[in-house]
Amino acid sequence: MRLGSIELTNFRNYETLSLDLAPTTTVVIGDNGTGKTNLVEGIAWLALGASFRGASDEAMVRVGQDKAFIRGEGVRQDRALQVEVELSRVGRNRVLVNRQRLQRVADLGDALQVTVFAPDDLKLVKGGPANRRILIDRALGSLAARNRATQQEVDRVLRQRNTLLKQAHGRRTAEIESTLDVWDQKLSTSGDALIASRVALIKRLAEPLTLAYDTLARGRSDVSMTYRASSHDLPLLAALAAVRDDDIRRGTTTVGPHRDEVALAIGSMPARTHASQGEQRSLALSLRLAIHRLLIETLGATPLLILDDVFSELDDHRARALLSEIPVGQVLMTTASSLPATAEPERVLSVAELVGEGAS
Amino acid sequence: MYAPPLQTLIDELGRMPGIGPKSAQRIAFHLLKIPSTDARRLADAIVVVKDRVSSCARCFNVCEGDLCEFCEDGRRDGSSVCVVEDVRDVVAVERTGEFRGLYHVLGGAISPIEGIGPDQLRVSELLERIEAESISEVILAMNPNIEGEATAMYLARLISPLGVSVTKIASGLPVGLQIAAPRFAEPLILVLAKLVQRANPIGWPAWADKY
Ligand SMILES: Nc1ncnc2c1ncn2[C@@H]1O[C@H](COP(=O)(O)OP(=O)(O)O)[C@@H](O)[C@H]1O
Ligand SMILES: [Mg+2]
Ligand SMILES: [Zn+2]
Repeated sequence: MRLGSIELTNFRNYETLSLDLAPTTTVVIGDNGTGKTNLVEGIAWLALGASFRGASDEAMVRVGQDKAFIRGEGVRQDRALQVEVELSRVGRNRVLVNRQRLQRVADLGDALQVTVFAPDDLKLVKGGPANRRILIDRALGSLAARNRATQQEVDRVLRQRNTLLKQAHGRRTAEIESTLDVWDQKLSTSGDALIASRVALIKRLAEPLTLAYDTLARGRSDVSMTYRASSHDLPLLAALAAVRDDDIRRGTTTVGPHRDEVALAIGSMPARTHASQGEQRSLALSLRLAIHRLLIETLGATPLLILDDVFSELDDHRARALLSEIPVGQVLMTTASSLPATAEPERVLSVAELVGEGAS
Repeated sequence: MYAPPLQTLIDELGRMPGIGPKSAQRIAFHLLKIPSTDARRLADAIVVVKDRVSSCARCFNVCEGDLCEFCEDGRRDGSSVCVVEDVRDVVAVERTGEFRGLYHVLGGAISPIEGIGPDQLRVSELLERIEAESISEVILAMNPNIEGEATAMYLARLISPLGVSVTKIASGLPVGLQIAAPRFAEPLILVLAKLVQRANPIGWPAWADKY
């Protein structure tokens, strides 16, 4: 898979932007605040159907405008690929792949894949469990559309169940109990499937994670990633039954895939609280690298790799080690200053060169 | 702002489902242009519908008079009832030409988000019918989405203990496959399921095997 060009219109700070990507490494240089991450966000939207940094669709639209457009053109399995997205401040988004409208934005994931490294990836290690669940779920979503369908079903059922629990106001009437029975059943079917797929992926990531970490951190260390289910390995249906009193009292679902932890450890110590900043940074990079490798291996195609301003945060060794670990493929790097000598870009552009007239 | 009568028409049209301000304007200007006989025919049709069409006292399908055409038709098999969410589903099932029983229109699906629980649906009416009409077979033809499946599951749990045969026909289709008109029925659904499998790389979700 190769992305040839990207165009942004009224997207974030850009009135218009167009960029032709080199088949290998393209570097975009720009001062802080000039829109490097915004550009990355536009490209990543084409793959994720959402902001990679979790921002709302509304935030994508340039201030003072109603709609933002993103268009990407490239080649996938020897065929031309065109992805067009229209994001509205109000109302539905429109997504077209090769001019065919997609029913579901989530199906974008089959057209294009990207891996993004960003400075705030540190939160994958230091932040709360939601960061790690999203990381794993996004990877699962890239691996199979079926996983995305399962995730959407879990989200929808959870919203229904939580709404019902709120409506119950702590009461346990026969109607609430019997309706809860149904949502429990639905949540357990899709939730157990989601949990099983997460556990399987985490298992497959163990080896690539260790390899990447050892290269970046120079040495042998015992990094591990472990799935800790809030249901304590009970089938979800039994776990939900066990906490029903609690759930009704609190008006929310207290066990399930939305409450699970993906625990990271270096040796016997939890990385979130015990690792040094340097170790945490290496581990965050390793997580991205390991997933990137697994996607290549499984999909038989290399996702576009984007390194957004990551070198400013890395010491010389880690920067070079990261570059040496990157599998061959198409790469976009952004930076505010210089790059490590080994980056070997094919094309270097500045943000100012890319924007149309009037962009700020 | 247009002349008040025109603006009133635009406002009224804009209150229709799926009609935004732009479409409302377009329709209103179209109505201005057409011959007045055509306009009157439309106005009459609206008035007649409101006067004559009501819901069937037995199954809640739309009808003229007390009972709908199916409930009135003595050749239909009154021991078999197909439960659907919406009156439009009745038409869809009829079109297959395979079902010879009667209907029961629930009036929606369970969805707490939309404030719909069993009490907002015609569930108690269904239970009363099962009892009063010696119904022996209930076919649940809910829409193939999460809420439809939850509703079918809810009803199945409620009805099965009554010694009535219960079949679900809309489950097992990939969720998310909410085609423009997701209104399926028994023979249709099998054909559709096969088509879907071929056309849709998503395939069957793992959980669908359970059904
Ligand atoms: N919706 C928007 N409309 C206009 N400007 C925006 C919008 N969203 C963000 N910006 C601007 O984009 C700039 C940040 O761009 P960013 O891509 O984060 O810069 P960097 O090059 O440092 O990565 C800020 O100046 C911000 O004001
Ligand atoms: Mg940035
Ligand atoms: Zn009737």
